[in-house]
Amino acid sequence: MNLQVIGCSHHLSSVAIREQLAFTEQQIKPFLNSYYSKFPGSEAVLLSTCNRTEFYTVADKPSSVPGKSELIEFIAEQRGLVATDINSEIFIHQDRQAIEHLFSVASSLDSMVVGEAQILAQVKQAYQLAIETNQTPALIHRVFQSAIRVARRISNETEIHANRVSVPSVAIGVLAKQIFERLDNKKILILGAGEMAEETLRYVIHEGGKDFTIVNRSIENAKKLAAKFNGRVGDWNALEHELASVDLVISATGATEAVVSSDQFDRVEEMRKQKPIFILDLAVPRDFEQSISDRSNVYLYTLDDLQKECERNRQSRQSHYPKAQKIITHETDQFFDEIQRRSSGSTIAQLKRQADDAKQLELDRLMNRLEGVSEKQKSEIEQSFNRLVNKILHPPLKSLQTESPQVSGGLLEALKKLFQLGD
Amino acid sequence: MDWLQNISITCFAASYAVVFILEISRVFFDVSFRKYVRVGFAAAGLFAHSVFLILQGKLVLGSTGLWLGSWFGWCLAAAWILALAYIWISIRQPKSVIGLFLIPLLLGLIGVGVGFGHENQFNPMRAKSVWNMIHGSALLLGTAIVALGFVFGVVYVVQSRRLKHKAPHSKNFRLPSLEWLQKSSEFSLIISTVLLAIGLVSGIAINWINQSDGAVSSGGVIAWSNPVIWSSGILFSWLLLVSVFNFCYQPARQGRKVAYLVIASFLFLVLELAIVWWAGHATTYLKPSVAEHPASHSVFVEWPSESRRSII
Repeated sequence: MNLQVIGCSHHLSSVAIREQLAFTEQQIKPFLNSYYSKFPGSEAVLLSTCNRTEFYTVADKPSSVPGKSELIEFIAEQRGLVATDINSEIFIHQDRQAIEHLFSVASSLDSMVVGEAQILAQVKQAYQLAIETNQTPALIHRVFQSAIRVARRISNETEIHANRVSVPSVAIGVLAKQIFERLDNKKILILGAGEMAEETLRYVIHEGGKDFTIVNRSIENAKKLAAKFNGRVGDWNALEHELASVDLVISATGATEAVVSSDQFDRVEEMRKQKPIFILDLAVPRDFEQSISDRSNVYLYTLDDLQKECERNRQSRQSHYPKAQKIITHETDQFFDEIQRRSSGSTIAQLKRQADDAKQLELDRLMNRLEGVSEKQKSEIEQSFNRLVNKILHPPLKSLQTESPQVSGGLLEALKKLFQLGD
Repeated sequence: MDWLQNISITCFAASYAVVFILEISRVFFDVSFRKYVRVGFAAAGLFAHSVFLILQGKLVLGSTGLWLGSWFGWCLAAAWILALAYIWISIRQPKSVIGLFLIPLLLGLIGVGVGFGHENQFNPMRAKSVWNMIHGSALLLGTAIVALGFVFGVVYVVQSRRLKHKAPHSKNFRLPSLEWLQKSSEFSLIISTVLLAIGLVSGIAINWINQSDGAVSSGGVIAWSNPVIWSSGILFSWLLLVSVFNFCYQPARQGRKVAYLVIASFLFLVLELAIVWWAGHATTYLKPSVAEHPASHSVFVEWPSESRRSII
């Protein structure tokens, strides 16, 4: 098997290049069809995400896989670029390196945020598009099914995906769960209607939150967000009353000074009758005065607090990196052992067939010359020929099976040449 | 089935100790199969505990009563309820390390029973009546639930403190949510109040019956001069007050207050049990001051001396 991957990723290439080389889902199939018409005889997969565009090509014969410059020319042509402009930002990995790279990508070890879960789905989607474009994607199946299996194994055997690393996911998925048993019966107040508020709201809904009110200085933006998620719009001027009845507050306004002062919160606290409240102040500068967190039933977390938690989780994920890397190395070895076994299997079968043919020819010739040989004697002679062939073939075949893939690869080639076996 | 006769306290106390060690190990490292081992040991301990209570304690749940024999048996029965609660919590809250707080209390109860309880045998002369069974069972269950409430309260305070101080979230030291702990504390408070009320009323009924039979000559239906009676009355009044306060005054059932209330209730209960034990309530050995006003409460059979020897 001859595999190579060519592409760009956040490790080496600038955002500008990544944007130019990115493909939408609709563009992938036409791209693959153009590739097959230009380079028949190989199989290909195109993986394109916001952080990487990688083009995998695989073929049985080395001559069927185009070289780096040919591929860069082809990709540049497809994207309307000049090959020399992108040449320095493109990487290429071949065979073992390429497999290791694919396993790392699918397992999210190569991702910008190590352990992120989306990449495996993106790899599966790229694989799906590739098999829809190619009628006989035997090699693609073998490579990508192995990659998906390795990614699952790493997910099961390490905790690389275990801890959340984005601010909203830590806030809702980790902290809110330590305070509330469930979110579907909680009143939630969203202060602000920007991107952060919206992203956090998505997590709230994902965790079961239903009853939420959006309060924003610009009521139009609040209405838009409320309409998008089927929420209620609250009155900015009645903020204290809104705060008095809720369980969870997500605050992410763009205000230049605190939106809720300590004095204001005194009045809110009086109305709340000491009911606990969880406040996520995701705004910079903060929306809630820091002294509010001194109250016994107030659990106030700022963006800094959450980012510290995210960083700890990131480090925790990194600590599982060596174990995951070890699995990838082991799986890559196994993948090539398997390829080697398959390859040597066909050569061995060919050699045995050739030896059997020669044996049968000589046996027939001998039987024709001999006269008055009984059936029992014929059988003895045939068995003797079989034993002879087996004894001759046994040492080389045993060496092929017991030697390491690197050594047996050389032996296989030698065997093919010595016995004049085809590919 | 002779082997069942050989089950001693060491068997189940050791099982619970292993569970406690496994709970501690959860804080330091993660092993996927440990939860099965932990619950398995707890279940094995509970089985041995049950067999011990039935065979060695000669516990009989019949028409005439539930027999526990002595304070020793009473402590073991309370510990049995906590062990059952531990298994229930392990299933309901599998990721939380609440056992770290519950198991020491369970082992402590066994220790108290072994250390102090066996000297105080319940008076076998007490009437084996339904009232006795209700009285003993309600107080036993009430005590175990107050103890459970105490655990919920302590865990609430710990969890709340961790969140207030923004302690790093640890996968190995998970506690139930504040909401769950608050609800469980509230629930334990209400149930224990009801059970202790039943215990108190049944105690009065026993006294009343004994007085009618002429078994008790003086002191009235409620022997207020008996420290057990007045301390029980105070404990019940406290729990009732807390429950009513909790029901009528919203801030009392919000946040840490309910946790503090259940912790205070447990401390009250410990004090009450100390008075009960000191006064030799319902036991054959009665202190002179108490003997003058014998309270007619639970009646239980004696523990065999061999089982006590096997403990020590």
